[in-house]
Amino acid sequence: MNNFQSSRLSTIAELTIATPEGVLFRLPLAGPAPRLYAMLLDIAIVLAGINGLGYLVYLIFAKAPGFAVMTITLTEFAIGFAYGALLEGFWNGQTIGKRLFHLRVIDQSGLPLRIEQAWVRNLMRTVDALPLAYLVGGISALSSPIMQRFGDRVAGTLVVRETPLAAPAEEASSRQKYNSFTDYPVIVMSLRRAGTPELAGLIQDALRRRDDLAPYARREIYRQLVTYLQTEIAPFPDELVEILSDEQYLTNAAGVLLASQRTW
Amino acid sequence: MILDLQRFQAQEQPRWDKLESLLAQLESRPDRRLKPGEAELLQEHYAQTAADLSRVIHGALAPELRQYLERLVARAYAELYYTPPTRSELWQPRRWLRIFTAFPEAFRRQSPYFALAVLITILGSALGGLAVRYDPASVNVLLPAEYLRNPGVRVQQDEKGQNRHLDSVQIEAEFSAQLITHNIQVALLAAALGVTFGIGTALLLFENGVLLGAVAVHYTQQGFGLFVTAWLLPHGAFEIPSILIAGQAGFFLARLLLRRREDRNMRQSMREWLMLIAGLAMMLVWAGTMEAFFSQHQAPVLPYGFKVAVGASELLLLTIYLLLVGRSETGADAPTSPPTECK
Repeated sequence: MNNFQSSRLSTIAELTIATPEGVLFRLPLAGPAPRLYAMLLDIAIVLAGINGLGYLVYLIFAKAPGFAVMTITLTEFAIGFAYGALLEGFWNGQTIGKRLFHLRVIDQSGLPLRIEQAWVRNLMRTVDALPLAYLVGGISALSSPIMQRFGDRVAGTLVVRETPLAAPAEEASSRQKYNSFTDYPVIVMSLRRAGTPELAGLIQDALRRRDDLAPYARREIYRQLVTYLQTEIAPFPDELVEILSDEQYLTNAAGVLLASQRTW
Repeated sequence: MILDLQRFQAQEQPRWDKLESLLAQLESRPDRRLKPGEAELLQEHYAQTAADLSRVIHGALAPELRQYLERLVARAYAELYYTPPTRSELWQPRRWLRIFTAFPEAFRRQSPYFALAVLITILGSALGGLAVRYDPASVNVLLPAEYLRNPGVRVQQDEKGQNRHLDSVQIEAEFSAQLITHNIQVALLAAALGVTFGIGTALLLFENGVLLGAVAVHYTQQGFGLFVTAWLLPHGAFEIPSILIAGQAGFFLARLLLRRREDRNMRQSMREWLMLIAGLAMMLVWAGTMEAFFSQHQAPVLPYGFKVAVGASELLLLTIYLLLVGRSETGADAPTSPPTECK
C-alpha cells in the first residue's frame, strides 16, 4: 500500500503513503535528534517516578530493606520496558516525551500502531541501545531511508513529526495592492512557469523570517535570492530592479508565485 | 497555476474546520470506535479533503496549505482504516490468562528453532567441557569468576555456612531481584539479536554453553559433581530452558526477517515472538527466586539429594507444561505454512 521511497528535501525525510482510494500524502519523518531528546525526557520522567516510588517502598518495607531493594529493582526494570510500550500502545503512539516534542510512532502504512508493535519496538531497545548510548539504533535510523532503528524495522513502525499546523494565514505578498512586476506580463509568465513549489516556499520562508534573521544575514540571503532569480529564472529589466529593495523584489516574486490569479 | 487559492481556501476552510473538530473529537475518545453516522461523515469529509489536496498539489504552489491538508488527510485516513481493540476486549481477565496456554502452544509451533538453540548450546558445552578436561589451564580463561575456579574452597565455605549472613533473607531478596533482571536482560538480548540474522543469538548461546560445560566438568573432575548438580539444578531447571527459549525466539525472528517482505505475516509473527518472551520472563522470575532463596543453601542445611530431587521434579513439570498444556499442535500453524492474514 505504501511505497518505501522517501525524498529528501534539504534535511527533511518523508514517506509517501498511497491509500486504497489513490490518495497520496506525505508524512514528515522524525530524525534521530528530536527522538533522542524525547527519550531523554522520558528517561528523566521514569527515573523521577521510580525515585518517588522508592521512598514509598522504603517506608513500607522499613523493617526489611532487602525486600525494598527487591521491589524497587523489579519495578524499575518492568517500568523501563512497560513505560514506552504501554503509553505508545494505549496513547496512540506517544509517550510524554514524544508528545512534548511533537513526535508519534505509527505503523509504516500510515495507520496507528497496534499494541503488539509497541511492545516489540520497545523490547528491541536491548539491541538498539548497544553498545552504549543507542549507537546501534542511531546508525540504523540514519542508514534507513525511513529513519527506522532496528526495533522499528522489526515492528514495522516509524516515528513521524507532528508539528501543529494551521491553514496558512494571508501573506504579506498577497496583501499588497500593487505589484510592479505585473507591468511585465511576459517575464511574470516565465517566472510562474519556472517557479517550483520549493522555490516559492524558500522565498516565502525567507520573507516570513525577516525579523528572526540578523540584519547582515538577512541582507545577504535576500541578495543571493534576488541574484538567483534575476540570473537563472526570470530577468526583470534593470530600471525596475534598481528602484526595488531586495525585500520588495522578493515580496513581488512571492506575490507572483503564490497569490491568486485575480490579481492579474 | 490554475487554482484561485484565496477563493479556494475561503470556500473550503469551513469543511476543513469541521473535519478537524471531528478528528479531535474521535482522537480523544479512549476506545476510538466510530458510530455509523460518524463514519459516514468522516468518510465524506475525508474524500472531499483528499480531493482538495489533490487540487492543491496539481494546481497551485502552496507548500503550507499542502502540508496542512496532507496532515488532515493522514489523520482522517488513520481514523477510518484502523480498528482498535475495544476496552472490553483488553480488560478481560480471561484474555490475560490465555498467556499461560498460548506460551506452550507458541513454543511447540516453533520447536525447530528450539532444537537449533539446544544444538548450539550442546556444541558450546562440549567445547567448554573438553577444553577443561584436556587443558586444565584453560579454566583460567573460561571461568573468569574466582568462585567458579576453586570448587573445593567454595564447597567448604558453603557447607560451613561462611557465605551466609545473619540477615540472609534480606540479602537473598535483593539477590533474587538482581538475578531476575539480569537474566531477563540477557534472554531479551538473545531474542532481539535475531536481527543479526541469528548470528548474535548463536554466539550468545554458544558462549553460555561453553561456560556451562566448563563449570560442570571442572567441578565433576574435582569430585564435586553432586554439589554442583544440587547447586545449579533447582534454578537451572528453569533458567537454562528459558535461555534456550530466548534463542528460539531469536532464531524465529531471524528466519522471519530472512523471508521476503510479502511472505511475512508480521502481525501473527510478532505475537508469537512476544508470547515466547512473556513465557520465558515468567520462567526467569521463578528461576531467580529459586536461585536466591533455595539454591544457595547447601548441606547440611539442605541435603543434596533433596535439592537434586526438587530440581528434577521442576524439570519434569516444566517439560509436561511445555509439551502438553494448551491446544495440541495442528499442521496449519506450522512455521512453514504460507502466511494467512488473521482476522
